[in-house]
Amino acid sequence: MKRLKMTTFSVRFPWIIILAAVVITVLFGSQFPKVSFDNDPENMLADDEQVRVFHTRVKAQYNLYDFVIVGIVNEAHEDGIFNVETLGRIDALTKELISLRQNAAGLPEVVRDGQPFAPGLESSSAWNRALSNVFGNDVNWLFDNKGNSAIIAQEIISPSVVDNIKQADHGQLAIEYLMEDAPTTREEALTIRNDAMNNPLYKGTLVAEDGKAIALYIPITEKTYSYNVANLVEKLTEDWSGDDQVYITGQPVAQDTFGVEMLVQMATSAPLAGLAIFLLLLFFFRRVSLIIAPMLVAIVSVVATMGLLIGLGFDVHIMSSMIAIFLMPIAVADSVHILSEFFDTYHRFQDKAKTIKHVVGRLFKPMLYTSLTTIAGFASLATTPIPPVRVFGLHVAFGVALAWLLTMTFVPAYIMLFVRKKSLEGVCQVQDQEICETKPSRLDHMLTWLGGFSYARWKLILAFTMVVVAISAVGISKIKVNDNPIKWFTQHHRIRVADRVLNDHFAGTYTAYLTLKPELIRPPTCAERIHMMRNAAIERFSGTLPEASQIFLQLLDEANTQFQALENADIDRCFVDLVEEAKGLDEMVNGPWNALGDEINYLDPEGLTYAKLAAAMAGIGDEATRGAFAEHMQEFQSLEGAALQNQALDIIDEYAALSFTDFLFEARADAGAPAFKKPEMLAYVERLQAFLAGVPNIGKTSSALDALKKANYELNFAAEGSPERNDAFYSIPPTPSAVAQVFTQLEGMKKKDSLFHLITKDYNEVNLWIQLKSGDNTDMQAVVDQVEGWMAENPAPTELDVGWAGLTYLNVVWQDKMVAGMMNSLLSSFVVVLIMMMVLFRSPLYGLLAMIPLSVTITFIYGLIGWVGKDYDMPVAILSSLTLGLSVDFAIHFLERARELTKKFGGWKEAVPHMFQEPAMAISRNAIIISIGFTPLLFAPLMPYKTVGFFLATIMAVSWLGTLFILAALITGLQKYLFKHEGTKGTKEEA
Amino acid sequence: MKKLIAAMLAASAFGAFAELSVDEIVNKANEAAYYAGSDGRAEVEMSIIDKSGSARTRKFALLRMNTAGGSQKFYVYFKEPADLYKQVFLVWKEVDEGKEDSRWMWLPALNLKRSIAPGDKRTSFVGSDFVYEDVSGRSLKEDAHELIETTDTQYVVKNTPKMPGDVEFSAYTVRIDKDTFLPRKAEYYDKNGKLYRTVEATQIETFQGFPTVTESVVKDLNTGGSTVNTFTNVKYDIGLKENIFTERFLRRPPREVTR
Repeated sequence: MKRLKMTTFSVRFPWIIILAAVVITVLFGSQFPKVSFDNDPENMLADDEQVRVFHTRVKAQYNLYDFVIVGIVNEAHEDGIFNVETLGRIDALTKELISLRQNAAGLPEVVRDGQPFAPGLESSSAWNRALSNVFGNDVNWLFDNKGNSAIIAQEIISPSVVDNIKQADHGQLAIEYLMEDAPTTREEALTIRNDAMNNPLYKGTLVAEDGKAIALYIPITEKTYSYNVANLVEKLTEDWSGDDQVYITGQPVAQDTFGVEMLVQMATSAPLAGLAIFLLLLFFFRRVSLIIAPMLVAIVSVVATMGLLIGLGFDVHIMSSMIAIFLMPIAVADSVHILSEFFDTYHRFQDKAKTIKHVVGRLFKPMLYTSLTTIAGFASLATTPIPPVRVFGLHVAFGVALAWLLTMTFVPAYIMLFVRKKSLEGVCQVQDQEICETKPSRLDHMLTWLGGFSYARWKLILAFTMVVVAISAVGISKIKVNDNPIKWFTQHHRIRVADRVLNDHFAGTYTAYLTLKPELIRPPTCAERIHMMRNAAIERFSGTLPEASQIFLQLLDEANTQFQALENADIDRCFVDLVEEAKGLDEMVNGPWNALGDEINYLDPEGLTYAKLAAAMAGIGDEATRGAFAEHMQEFQSLEGAALQNQALDIIDEYAALSFTDFLFEARADAGAPAFKKPEMLAYVERLQAFLAGVPNIGKTSSALDALKKANYELNFAAEGSPERNDAFYSIPPTPSAVAQVFTQLEGMKKKDSLFHLITKDYNEVNLWIQLKSGDNTDMQAVVDQVEGWMAENPAPTELDVGWAGLTYLNVVWQDKMVAGMMNSLLSSFVVVLIMMMVLFRSPLYGLLAMIPLSVTITFIYGLIGWVGKDYDMPVAILSSLTLGLSVDFAIHFLERARELTKKFGGWKEAVPHMFQEPAMAISRNAIIISIGFTPLLFAPLMPYKTVGFFLATIMAVSWLGTLFILAALITGLQKYLFKHEGTKGTKEEA
Repeated sequence: MKKLIAAMLAASAFGAFAELSVDEIVNKANEAAYYAGSDGRAEVEMSIIDKSGSARTRKFALLRMNTAGGSQKFYVYFKEPADLYKQVFLVWKEVDEGKEDSRWMWLPALNLKRSIAPGDKRTSFVGSDFVYEDVSGRSLKEDAHELIETTDTQYVVKNTPKMPGDVEFSAYTVRIDKDTFLPRKAEYYDKNGKLYRTVEATQIETFQGFPTVTESVVKDLNTGGSTVNTFTNVKYDIGLKENIFTERFLRRPPREVTR
């Protein structure tokens, strides 16, 4: 037979096959050293994915970095974290982190107490050190090629290096760091607390509102440094005794830690699962020499697949790290069928070659199809929009194909070469108990009983199935699609603990950025500006300076006609030309007053009397003005010195205050003001923030507005003013110019440009830093929806473009894509598999029947997820393809054998007892091996592995039941349609 | 004979040159850079350029007056951008040890006059890469000076702060032109010895006999940002009155800046 050619060849030339397998393994295995890892969930989205491009742009635009968040908590001290000792430590730690450098030996070094100090960063556990070595994870890797620190020192957020604006002595305004120096007294420490609590940017972000914790935000150049930076901080704070607890979190750290632990899992869970499978095989087949074959098939497929992945230049991602775990059961399953069959039929032939040919001949078709369906299931992942999932799917598909090929060639070759005839003596078949001495096992008994039950009570089984499906369907409707990379760690993992503690103290460690910009940035044209100016000029001047006002309006109108002719006039031109005119007008109106003012201003106040003042004024300005001035000064003639001078200037200012030039500059500033120097736009942001404060899960929002209001308050603060007066300045300054002048103070702080994390330098775009207490995608999505709803109801003064960025938001996007993608890929592979089944069985009815167990399994599994309340996350989504691939296998084998045995024995009823012996046995062995084999995964510290372990077992159990109960019951019910053509006899094995 | 005398004169001049101590060099450089004339004014155009290349421009007039004992007074009056129009900074720089500078600002749109605590002189000057100290000069007494190199045209002086905790640099070197004694390029090194900031005099012109920096560029190598200051309308010895540099002139700017 053609299909046997491959196997025949393997049986004849086993050495060639073995050699080929060795070559494949070595070839692919040699790629391993090139391995590179990628544990960044951001890469779940393609590089050019719009939201990711936007995220990257926002990061660049606002100079935002990924942070390692270090939380320091002191619950015990009466002043909480704000005690002299702890603040001193925090100050020292900050300075040490800033000083991080590479020493002559190439090792990380910080300055501690003025001396170089190289902390030992290696783990104290030999096991961890060994793992680090194996995976090339160098804890001292904290510098780029040029030796630059991974920490962006000038952007660290710590009390020692963040700006604070506050009232100093003598009515002065102080601009300094929040903790300029480590405090030496309790008073100093408490001053730092008060300053921090009075700054809206710091309260809840840098310092906990309960005063018990401080968070340092350490920006890093690349996310991949985060694990090592976290490790560095741990080592630097190792000697902190007492009540100061250090917690490290932040999404990059979580991701990086996950990556490192994922490697540990790859190195432990997969081999452990392999070991468990080996032991189970040994239990069933009791011959080490025999069961080494499936183990080798699994190993060669895994090595080749991973080698291919690495060789093709793909990074090992969270997804691909699970390839081994997914591939192993599939690879083993194939060869277990062969083995099981070989084991059961050897006694009939007493010849290895003949047995192999018989077994392969019989199993070729079902095994080809089971492999093809599994390949289809995984290959369908290539249709998802998530690159790592595509890579994963295609590689597993490759691995499955290879495993099939190896099963067809390597297993026979192995049996020929390495299984000694002697060891096969005594192997017996379950049904020939007279020949064999072995007693039927419990499993045999159970299966026999099962067969009888499935046949006799088929209606009951089907009814029960219907009920289960119905309950599951309800469960599916309850499924919550949600993921949160922090939850990939188990409850007691230090990352989860840190996450809990810090989110308890602070406003939230999860970051999202909401950016706003006008949909259209268009400075007004000259005509528009002039129009605006005209209205403002009438308001300001027409009452007090009617004549000059008329002239000014005329000038504006002339300018208007002039510029309307010019389509693309330089917008400042209309202004520049007008300024000269306005100066002339001012001279005309206020000239004499200003001349007086200037003259008085320059006078030396020392010994100044009214007589001297009057004398100095002689010949300045004009007669009338001097007269008016003298009249006003009448009652102040007794004043002297500076008091006299100031009084004189105040009087002049009353007259000279109205300046057309000033008006023009003001108008220019107003008209040309970018969106977020306009008070009405800032007021909108203020309202938005007030709304966000009430949204559940949002701990806090920060914006440039918070800094603006705080600065406005401090600038205008007057010690002698009433609290009401001072508090009134905790507000948006009234004009664009006023806003600009306050912002300028913030630009020139000690830590330059920190304002520009929240607003662009052109003040046209703002960035709201939203801190969430939960990284659940559902929570993030709820925030997005709420904002959308609010903005729809509360339109901004100018139409705004709204953008979201930040890792928490990115997770939502890739999750959405994944769910939709998985659904599509599941549906498409379902259809493909259905068609394959119809072709295989050459019957639509059989095809449909083959799909029943897997449909029930998938429904049940997802129903279970829904009922239990487990989030539908990334690992769960991926499991659907595995379910499809594995459960259909059982059905194929079962149906193929059912048809064959019914033919042989003349009827389904007669075939049932046989079905529940050898074929059911093979299926059961497979189910047990895979489900129990993967229990080691349940002990993994990472949730995705636990999930996979648990669901693999459940999938196996349910599809096993689904096949043996439901399929058997369905066949019973449908036997007259299924077996109507069965007349001819003749079995394949004789062919 | 004449030649011989000329040669001797040259030799003695050269000798004096060679014997110039580092303190004399930095004193002369400080004089040349910050004390030209008894007073002076200039129009400054400041361009703050970020790493992406986009620039923000500010224009201001600058008045300076030397007062007793090496102290100085500065008056900075903003003209552009329109929203900073008429904003004023007033600085009294003190050189005597133990005496702090005084600073005031006037924010016209807020009708606000505020005195600013002296605090840190190394804070950004209106959001630029220049710090206040670049504008007004750093007191020579704050650093230890060391002549590390003498080239044909320049002295290279290394300055190490006496109070390293007060500043963000560990040291800076200044290249000083031998002929004009103007500092041409300052290079600042961070605590790890890495060069992170440069201030360079890129153009020099002579006004009323005083060689004057007319373009200076500061670069922040960490952020990739830079700021360029261009000086025009430079005048010295204009006879400023000291009372211009008082709070009274914040609200009502002097003619010397408005014209």
